[in-house]
Amino acid sequence: MTTADSHNGRRLTARGAKTRARIVAAATDLMYIRGVGATTLDDVLAASGVSKSQLYHHFDGKDALIRAVIDHVGERIIERERDALSHVSTIRGLRRWRDALVQNNGLRHGAYGCALGSLASEVSDHDALARQALSQLFTEWQGLLAGVLRRLQDGGALPPEASVDQLATGLMAALQGGYLLAQTARDVTPMATSIDMALAHIESLSER
Amino acid sequence: MVSTGREGLLRTHFAEVLARESACLAGVTDGAKLADWRRRVVEELMTPPSPYVLALRQTGDVPDRADFLDRWRELIAETVDRLLQSGTTGDTHFSSGQTRRADVDAQKTAVLILAALHGGSTLSQIAKDPWPLNAALDLALAPFAATEDDSPARTGTSSPISNMNS
Repeated sequence: MTTADSHNGRRLTARGAKTRARIVAAATDLMYIRGVGATTLDDVLAASGVSKSQLYHHFDGKDALIRAVIDHVGERIIERERDALSHVSTIRGLRRWRDALVQNNGLRHGAYGCALGSLASEVSDHDALARQALSQLFTEWQGLLAGVLRRLQDGGALPPEASVDQLATGLMAALQGGYLLAQTARDVTPMATSIDMALAHIESLSER
Repeated sequence: MVSTGREGLLRTHFAEVLARESACLAGVTDGAKLADWRRRVVEELMTPPSPYVLALRQTGDVPDRADFLDRWRELIAETVDRLLQSGTTGDTHFSSGQTRRADVDAQKTAVLILAALHGGSTLSQIAKDPWPLNAALDLALAPFAATEDDSPARTGTSSPISNMNS
């Protein structure tokens, strides 16, 4: 079986795909824990156990590898969030979503943050393709939140004039900012506070 | 620690942002001035070489970052507290039989405002569009209704007066 290599469009053999996946998995872990800037291709070689020629067979260089990591992390997070949010239609459901994120991030005292958000805060202006890929992923994630808010609105828990897209974006920013504050403080509390305050505002709209 | 040069430079950015924020936030005594502050910070965060952008960029472990963010949050909390004391909350906006103003916690509101600046600027930088940052600040600054930027569509279209229950 062959799969298309998203980077150069070449067809990959099953073995080639496995090697590529191993490189991307190692790079994903390193970039999550150490940061994009502090991860070198030599680190990735050492962690994945592949040869230099294998790595360059799949990736032109670090930028191409970063883009593959963005795709990989994005796919994982969007899948997780789709599972978590697709059927939520109440504020209580939204709070359960919040609890799971805070709980998971608290396991490591918030040290590493959101895998997608960390990539976003590091690669921003460096690579236009990476930036656009990240931007699309966040738009997709916000779309899932907007879906929840729209269902709240349909159920009468949000007033009809509330701007669902704007609130979804504001909630995403509160979540991402919360992750970043928790990461710096090595404490998940600011993340919990930030999302709680944002959710409290959304809830208060129905009381007006 | 590695690269003291980069750290030294970051420390300079931290100090500059705190100096400017300290001066600007001290002058925020009403909703209109809070709106001015907001417009200025959004502009700084949308201008790539500004010290605001560089100070907020998450690049590995930087010892002074936690202190920098704590102090900025503290400055915001003092401002929020001052506005609450002076009654600059859009409390007509919130009136629904209960006094929302008493519910506004200055410290927690400051955490949300700082998170909105941090997370909103990250989203805005990847989108190359100030819209996400403005959406984030609209939500975070909602207790101070008058501070809302007047360009994008508002979340509530009904008049605050008509919402008053009293």
